[in-house]
Amino acid sequence: MANEKKLSHKLQRYAGKIQQNRYMSAISNGLMSTLPFLIVGAFSTLFSALAWEPYQNFIAPVKGIIGLASTMTTGVIALYAVFFIAYRLAQAFDKDPLVPAATALLSFLILTPVETFDKVRALPLQWLGAQGLFVAMFVGLIASRLYIWIVDRNWTIKMPEGVPPTVVKTFSGLIPAILVAVLFVVISGLFMQTSFVTVHEFIYTYLQVPLEGLGGSLGAMIIALIIMQALWMFGIHGAIVTLAIVKPIWMSLDLANLEAFQAGAPLPNIIGLAFWYIFANYAPMLGFALLLVFLAKSKQLRTIGKLGLPGTFFSIHEPLNFGIPVVLNPLLAVPFIASPIVCAVLGYFATTIGLLPAPIGIYPAFGTPIFALGFIEGSWRLAAAQLVLIPVCMLIYYPFFRILDRQALEREREAQENSEQEGTAGINAGAVTS
Amino acid sequence: MKQITLVCAAGMSTSMLVQKMQKAAQAQNVEVEIRATSESSFKEYADKTDVLLIGPQVGYLEDDFKSKYEPKGIKVSVIDRMDYGMMNGEKVLADALSL
Repeated sequence: MANEKKLSHKLQRYAGKIQQNRYMSAISNGLMSTLPFLIVGAFSTLFSALAWEPYQNFIAPVKGIIGLASTMTTGVIALYAVFFIAYRLAQAFDKDPLVPAATALLSFLILTPVETFDKVRALPLQWLGAQGLFVAMFVGLIASRLYIWIVDRNWTIKMPEGVPPTVVKTFSGLIPAILVAVLFVVISGLFMQTSFVTVHEFIYTYLQVPLEGLGGSLGAMIIALIIMQALWMFGIHGAIVTLAIVKPIWMSLDLANLEAFQAGAPLPNIIGLAFWYIFANYAPMLGFALLLVFLAKSKQLRTIGKLGLPGTFFSIHEPLNFGIPVVLNPLLAVPFIASPIVCAVLGYFATTIGLLPAPIGIYPAFGTPIFALGFIEGSWRLAAAQLVLIPVCMLIYYPFFRILDRQALEREREAQENSEQEGTAGINAGAVTS
Repeated sequence: MKQITLVCAAGMSTSMLVQKMQKAAQAQNVEVEIRATSESSFKEYADKTDVLLIGPQVGYLEDDFKSKYEPKGIKVSVIDRMDYGMMNGEKVLADALSL
């Protein structure tokens, strides 16, 4: 036990380092900040691309207008991402974040070539959406960090005393913004001399595509799930630590699906944030909680089950994880780690054989209830699959649940015998039921 | 009035505990304001917090938050795992008030 505590403490420290790393959390929180815009876009996509012929005929005259909000949100999500990532990083360094964020947006636009089509000058939307997301992450971090570095060096224009503070503030951003802009102009110019022509082309081909290939595989999802669940076994919020690393990749895969869905094209990806959420995040603990509530003979387990069950419909698992507890309980390690993996594998194969559609990639907002999420992700079949996985998980948990129940019953009987020996009536269930 | 802020990953499971704590406070006639938030947005509430309680699943934040906020006079503590799991509002409230 002492060793487990020590290991747990050590893991806590590492987990903290990953999750609290300023750059990782700037990306994670920055992407999180795009949520309102993603949701606006999601509604617009749903209403304009809902695959039901009578509806499509009905909205045909205004389809383009309904889709406008999604084109200007999910369609150009890299613009929002670069701004918010830079904003969050500046915040993490306790700097006024607005100007560095705008400077990062400027830097991103400098790297994005203006192209001329039939005398129309335009920014290619291609690089402003999901395909530009990785450039947005890099530029957001680099531009913002450089800006902060220059401000810290005090390379700013000093104003004489008596100048209003607002004016001083404007001028203090001048030199850092100019230097950052110059750097990105130079980078953009250098790339024009190469066969890639743009940074976007380079990063997309040599980084985003390989990383998406790697992160978009079933193997990557299984590894992520093992790490996630193993961290939970030590009492650490495994999901936010693991997502700090994989979320950027999974999110860009989802956004590619969403763009394809909007365009009426086949969905390119199966794995993504949405897939993880739909298949691995509800059924395991919901199944376990149902076993506890309906089949447990132990009063303690039944009480915890009742306490935890409502949360599991919304993928909130802390009462069960800490109450049973799952944490530091080797008996439950096998079903706890195995059941989400089994769910993900079943979901993956059901999708590859065409039994289920791929999720359309709407950002799964935390707290969305099971079943509803399946609908949001594009199909009643996904919603139904979420429910079908519950009995599967109950089966996986069942043998371990039996042992757990027996152990708890024994403890309760002992407690009762002890209290009877001491002459006090009944068991002291106060601590459990309160 | 004492102000208690609970933080976890998204402020979801702590908000369940907050409800139980508020009920316990009402039953005991304790005047206290309790809220839950995500760890990343705690900064916004730092000025109106006397006691900061950290969910055990993000217990790794303890050192960082202690060094940041204890000098400002905020008491920082990680919620006991068992109390958290059982959503024992009464106990967590009592512990928080005795800090």
